[in-house]
Amino acid sequence: MRKAYIEKQKREHNRKVLAVLPIHYPKEILTALDILAVELWGPPGPPRGDAAGRLQVYICSLVRNATAFLAGDDVGMVDGVLYPHTCDSIQGMSTLLEDFGGWEKPVFRFFHPRGESRKSLRTFLVAELKSLAAQLSDFVGREMDMDALRRAIAMHRRIDEARAGLLGRRSHLEMSDSELYRVLRRGEFLWPEDHLQELREAEGAFRPEVVQKGIPIMISGYVPEPMAIFQVLEEAGAFVAADDYAGVGRRLVPSILEVGEDPFATLAEMSYAAPPCPTQTSTQGRRMEYLSRLFDAHGAVGVIVHELKFCEPELFDYPAIKKTFSEKGAPVLLLEGELELELSGQVVTRIEAFIELLDSGEHGGAS
Amino acid sequence: MITRRIQYEMAGRVVGPMLMSLERWQKSRRRRGGKKKDTPFGPSLESVRRLKELMTVYYFKGRYADGAVPVAWVTSGFPVELLRPLGFYVVYPENHAAICSVQRLVPELSDAAEAEGYSRDLCGYARCDLGSVITKKTPMGRLPKPDMLACCTNICQTVLYWYRSLAAHFQVPLVLIDTPFVFGEAAPHHIQYVKDQLEELMEAAEKIGGKKVATEELEETTRMAVEGTRLWGECLAAGRNEPSPWTAFDGFFHMAPIVTMRGGEECNSYYRGLLDELKDRIQRGIGGIKNEKYRLLWDNLPIWFNVRELSTLFAENHFNFVCSTYTDAWTEAGSRIDPADPIGSAAEAYTYIILNRDLKNRLDLIERLTKEYKVHGAVLHSDRSCKPYSIGQIDLKERLGEGVGIKALVLEADHADPRSYAREPAENRLLAFMESFH
Repeated sequence: MRKAYIEKQKREHNRKVLAVLPIHYPKEILTALDILAVELWGPPGPPRGDAAGRLQVYICSLVRNATAFLAGDDVGMVDGVLYPHTCDSIQGMSTLLEDFGGWEKPVFRFFHPRGESRKSLRTFLVAELKSLAAQLSDFVGREMDMDALRRAIAMHRRIDEARAGLLGRRSHLEMSDSELYRVLRRGEFLWPEDHLQELREAEGAFRPEVVQKGIPIMISGYVPEPMAIFQVLEEAGAFVAADDYAGVGRRLVPSILEVGEDPFATLAEMSYAAPPCPTQTSTQGRRMEYLSRLFDAHGAVGVIVHELKFCEPELFDYPAIKKTFSEKGAPVLLLEGELELELSGQVVTRIEAFIELLDSGEHGGAS
Repeated sequence: MITRRIQYEMAGRVVGPMLMSLERWQKSRRRRGGKKKDTPFGPSLESVRRLKELMTVYYFKGRYADGAVPVAWVTSGFPVELLRPLGFYVVYPENHAAICSVQRLVPELSDAAEAEGYSRDLCGYARCDLGSVITKKTPMGRLPKPDMLACCTNICQTVLYWYRSLAAHFQVPLVLIDTPFVFGEAAPHHIQYVKDQLEELMEAAEKIGGKKVATEELEETTRMAVEGTRLWGECLAAGRNEPSPWTAFDGFFHMAPIVTMRGGEECNSYYRGLLDELKDRIQRGIGGIKNEKYRLLWDNLPIWFNVRELSTLFAENHFNFVCSTYTDAWTEAGSRIDPADPIGSAAEAYTYIILNRDLKNRLDLIERLTKEYKVHGAVLHSDRSCKPYSIGQIDLKERLGEGVGIKALVLEADHADPRSYAREPAENRLLAFMESFH
């Protein structure tokens, strides 16, 4: 499905296609230059090629799988790759494939600054955004049209607003988690207008009354893989009321920002307005406050922390999450996986037991 | 404050050195009449004693630092010479964790961190340090509480996550120097970004230090740092001699002053003494091991808890590690630092650190070291605790064999945690590797 869609985009719209590694990147710049971003969250399952063996087993499965995928034979339709400066492993994978073979097409990099907002970071971020835009302009062979960039920013604001609406008013949405996340995750490869259209269609499932009667939980983690997790939650009588997945809720800029005179400055502002992500923030407290507010605002009663094994930025924050929510009296369940296609029976049992615990306690939902 | 300052100064200038003299005297009495063990190593470096004394006094003084002087906990790639003129006492959690690892304390300290929720898959230094903070256990008696945490991401991103946890624990400011990874050459706006952050660092440090830094003072400590790295580089270069007057394993321990005391006279004086001793050994034909037949390069951090055993295994088989990419890292920065432009040159120097550069640069470095040190083979320590240093080693091994023409082995281990190291299978592989040279 994804492959057919990408081929169609190339054929009918003559769009260049960039494979994009997680997490944060200025998709608006790609849209303005008519480049289709296809995000590479793995892909899940066993590595699709021998190149995974070029990395040690203690490197996360996302990077091992992405390395195998990019060095494999299945990327003919991709014209280049964009590596955001997310973590040591993505950084290392980028130099491995470029310097030691496995990727011959154009490579782009985006260094998002780390730390709290301050003058040096803002100045740098604007310069970095402009630098990326210039490189991508060369790639597509035309100058960046500032009006096109403003329109792209406005389009992605509408998308973020729609995504935030679907997640934020979850209890009024007559749609299973599996269906909702399928729609949301199609944004990883759909052209923005197509994605917005699907989001609008999904909004048709809003009801005036509360329709989600299960146990509301908050979920935090890297990427919702395997997607079967939502089915298990649903069958156990729970639903995701609040989302902090790096690939989903954590990338939503909550408020609509006006596109200013300098669209690059607006993109930089948006970056700082986004929810705190451990790959960017230097203050654990700010993230814990955000998660606490998210939890309360959506009436969640328990937290599932769903992580990729060996993912340092995420795993370092787990003790703080555990502490924050245990002080609130909210149970926390840690799940670690390796981008498997299926959840193991053991994990399913742990999720079921966790939901049962939530249901039996004073936090129990209405199911 | 005054009492604390007196305690701090007394600890560093009087009590610490006095305790060291006492220990020296006791040791010399014990040694009298004792039979010397037969080892495959050359005679011990006299500098080992000086190193031990220097570091012991340094940590001893640190027990009294908080409340006396501003205290910063810093990462090993941080431009610490910029903090020196402000009178900061600096703690290097990485150095402290290495000491804990040598003393085999990491499992116990890591257990404490794991009980709080830190995964065993995280860096062993970080787990050890966080465990030490949680339990307040340290082989150094006591570590001073920081007034500031100073973290530079030029060695890895892990330090940011680790220091963020420390900042939350101690409730003190975290000053971050975020260094964009260098692919080929750094873009001008990347260097400018680091420079801007260093200027912000100075403002924050001056606020905590309670005084303004005079330009001349900054230039002087920078000049001292350059001199220190030059001296350290010369000590390492002594390994080019055949036989090498010391081993890279020795170098792992002797790098402590350049990491922790860079920019100070104590550091430079120490390396002047070490260099004299190494030169003297070269002149007298004394090697780090008794019978050096093969010369090797070590890539990545050492396996701290197993250095003695590993070095003995190699020395017994007449293999000497004469250089390492790790110890070389502290010579690189110095060559780019200009005392006339402490901030601007530091921005460039600390961005172009080996771990912040691409794999092509790493391969070039290994190739250069291989030629300069006349190396026959390399051991690439695939370090479970250090992903950025380990990524690419499987390809590096192939390239060393095919392109550079030396034998290489990837050794699975961990720089801090013995629970991630299977000693017997590792030693069997190393023995087979050594046999392949005959």
